[in-house]
Amino acid sequence: MEDEKIQELMMKVVDGVASPEEEAALADAIKGSERYEGELRAFKKIREVTANMQFKELPDSYWTGYWRDVYRRTERAIAWIALSIGLMVVLGFMAYTGLSRFYSDPNVSMVLKIGVSAAVLGAVIMIGSITRERLFARKHERYEKEVER
Amino acid sequence: MILMSVIRGVKEFTGLDDAQLMIEVQQGSPVAFRVLVERYKKKAYYLALKLVGNPDDAYDLSQEAFIRVYNARKRYDSTHPFYAWFYTILRNLARNHLQKRSVRLEYAVRMSRIRKKNPKVSASPECIMQADEAKRAVWGALEKLQYEQREIIVLRHFEDMSYQEIADFLGIAVGSVMSRLYYARRKLRDLLGEEYGR
Repeated sequence: MEDEKIQELMMKVVDGVASPEEEAALADAIKGSERYEGELRAFKKIREVTANMQFKELPDSYWTGYWRDVYRRTERAIAWIALSIGLMVVLGFMAYTGLSRFYSDPNVSMVLKIGVSAAVLGAVIMIGSITRERLFARKHERYEKEVER
Repeated sequence: MILMSVIRGVKEFTGLDDAQLMIEVQQGSPVAFRVLVERYKKKAYYLALKLVGNPDDAYDLSQEAFIRVYNARKRYDSTHPFYAWFYTILRNLARNHLQKRSVRLEYAVRMSRIRKKNPKVSASPECIMQADEAKRAVWGALEKLQYEQREIIVLRHFEDMSYQEIADFLGIAVGSVMSRLYYARRKLRDLLGEEYGR
């Protein structure tokens, strides 16, 4: 019997979902194989231990306050988004107004205008670059680890 | 008066199934969202606990998953089971959390060499279960598994899900579930050492 088939049957036997025929087929296939017989014993033992694991109940106070916490956090998340958008609009508008006045002022020297333009351009590129890097990292790091075999 | 209407609202929504509740949530009903949270809060917490191994983090992550559900409510497709969709959100949160935690742990290990302290990020098994030596050993080994291996063990051993259910949850074939389970169990046995025949 192929290894893959043996492993599948072994999983079924360990999980108690194998038919009598499948159990007999597995017993027959691994007879004399130290590796598979050892694995089967170990897997059954692990299954037995985990079957008896009882997780502690949290105190009732956690459950009664659960919804309140979720509600508060949802509310704050919405408030935070609204605040951020508002601040961005206000700051953007202030920057636009300030820069418009700055560039239209004939008393400001051309050298200063070029210097400020370079600084603004640098800031925009920097923010764009950091945002792109963050988005890329969020998209790829999450799935980079594969199952170890 | 308001309280009575909320209580009446909760009672009214309790009889609805998950998809119907989500449709109500999509239409802006906070009461329907509350019913959904109350329905799944314990299941979400214990699943998160088994995935991340720390009660405080599990509590926080399970709540965060509900918040994400609310924020993404418009994207929910009511023809698909709600819990599978919720689980996808929760597992992504758990996986990201563990990755960040391992980075933090690496940093703590480096710092501990300087400060000669023993860093500990996970809760001890006694904090989360009635543990004897065998359970402590298995839980300790489980925490050392890679996320995908730990997850498959949690879903099969603790959530008691069938191979088909796991396959639907993870979006993989049943054969892959069994194969992943086999390698996860083998890795677990290797980590447990001699007492388990290794």
